[in-house]
Amino acid sequence: MKSRVLLFISLSLMFFLAWSSIGWAQPPREEIENTAQHLATLLNVGRLIIERNQTRIDDPRIGDKGFTPEVFERQLLDEFIRQTNIDLKHLPSHLPSLAKELLPVLLQSSKEVVADAQLVINQRGIGYKNFIPATFGSQATRKFSNRSHVKIKQTTLNPRNLKNTPDAYEENVLKRLATQPASNTSITEWVDNETTLRSVTPIYYSHDCLVCHGIPKGILDISGYPREGAKEGDLAGAISIQIPVNSR
Amino acid sequence: MIVGRSIMRVRSHLQKLRRRLEDYGSQGIVPFLIAFGVFLQGCGLVFDAVELIQPLARDEMSAICSRGQLRVGISVEPFRPFVFPAVFTDEGVRVTGLDVELIREVADALTTYCGGQKPIVPTLHLTRFRDLFIEMNEGHLDLFVSSIGGNVPGARPAGLWYSIPHFHNGGIGAMIQKPEVAERVRAQFQKQAGNPDTLAAIQAGFSGLTVAAQKGRTSSLYAEANLLNVRLLICDSLPASVETKDPHIDVILSQHSILDYVTKHVWPDWHLLTRNDGTPLILTQESFSIVTVEEHRRLQWFLNNLLYRLEESGRLEQMRRRWLEEDYAPTRRATTEGLPFEISKVPEHYDQGQCRFATGR
Repeated sequence: MKSRVLLFISLSLMFFLAWSSIGWAQPPREEIENTAQHLATLLNVGRLIIERNQTRIDDPRIGDKGFTPEVFERQLLDEFIRQTNIDLKHLPSHLPSLAKELLPVLLQSSKEVVADAQLVINQRGIGYKNFIPATFGSQATRKFSNRSHVKIKQTTLNPRNLKNTPDAYEENVLKRLATQPASNTSITEWVDNETTLRSVTPIYYSHDCLVCHGIPKGILDISGYPREGAKEGDLAGAISIQIPVNSR
Repeated sequence: MIVGRSIMRVRSHLQKLRRRLEDYGSQGIVPFLIAFGVFLQGCGLVFDAVELIQPLARDEMSAICSRGQLRVGISVEPFRPFVFPAVFTDEGVRVTGLDVELIREVADALTTYCGGQKPIVPTLHLTRFRDLFIEMNEGHLDLFVSSIGGNVPGARPAGLWYSIPHFHNGGIGAMIQKPEVAERVRAQFQKQAGNPDTLAAIQAGFSGLTVAAQKGRTSSLYAEANLLNVRLLICDSLPASVETKDPHIDVILSQHSILDYVTKHVWPDWHLLTRNDGTPLILTQESFSIVTVEEHRRLQWFLNNLLYRLEESGRLEQMRRRWLEEDYAPTRRATTEGLPFEISKVPEHYDQGQCRFATGR
């Protein structure tokens, strides 16, 4: 009897360990999709904070702008709570564990980009410094992607930065999005025999973007690139995320 | 510790050998030589270990090759189009400009010199202009490039060496806001009736005006030596001269090429001071050089030979035209060809500085 009990306990333990290890290696699909959505939102919120502070960043009359990594973080956290009801400083228990792992990494990467840019931001007498949502996003996604198995990238059909050139999948989705009415919904699909999640979240031109991307088309903007001739609400590009099933 | 023990061990073995040699007399020379030969190999290891801890003195070129880095000083005060203000790009924070392109050329040539196995990476140290000289003398830099002229009296601090010029068309120019200032100078030239004397015209034309020049730059050396009847303001940077409203500045002196660029692209309210025929008024000529320390003879010859070759091939002229004459966006060039940098001795919130009246005049 005693030996049977021991055998039962041992088998249960083995089953539990095997089950939990499978669960640990491969989070449920829904969890991965949910994580991709949160990552895209967080990157978008970071870009939004830069856009909101753009006038301050580009003010040539002030030296110390006070736009420190801590100030950026505070504004980012507040806006993220407003959009998602999630406090990144006290992550709720219902959040997928993958999201709990990756959101702080993206937050830290974003903060570091603002820290790296302090010398540029705080130069007095210099107006435009090219510290804009796009360049912030390029650096934040690069830092993040180097620290995880998840790849995040900003992409568009006519990229100014060639590193943002879309791959075949992204190009296909962007072309589809360009013909559809504006929507904040991400396009999410499982590819490569269902082993990788691909998520593409569209970004649309806001009024402030048009200073550089608006009309007249072809005339050089302040950073030296030809304006795209875009209108408010046109598709600007997308945040592309790739998460492999074994993302840990 | 390990090296010390090894040396002690070698020394004790040698002492034993000497004693045995004495014991055996001249017959012992053969075994001694054999034993010595065996020990020599060990000595090689000891030397390697010692060198690992305290490298033997090498010339500056070998040091650059083994380091794989060229440590270059560059001024944080922007001297457009030689050095543009640092901007943020998709690749991170970058600086660009004619000086930066020249640094790339020097680094590429060093890569070839060092055998081409690994690229020599230029490491830019962005610091205040006045600190470049200190950093150089303290051995933190291999060289610096910051639109520096070596042919203006008082411009060469002791212990530093200036290369042959990489930019010949330099010279000190002036920019003004009020046309009356230009009229005053032109009136002086007219009085000279075909026998031009720029210095005399400038001295009389600027008399009583408030003139600004940048601290430590050749423009301030020129003003302090030649413009005795002006109210001279010494400013920490060119932007500081432009920003100063009280006292009102009538004339700003700086390198002509820099003033030519900023009056066209940055401060359109300011205009180049020109002669009666409309050509720019150059107060004195000046050519820009690369600076390194006096002792670095091999690096000096390397730089002079390289600059001469770049001049011969037309590459320097191409670079000058590219930055001074072409229409371009510095931010875009910073993205594609700018260099990252490290910051030393720069306040966290760099603010271009201020202006104050020159003392002791």
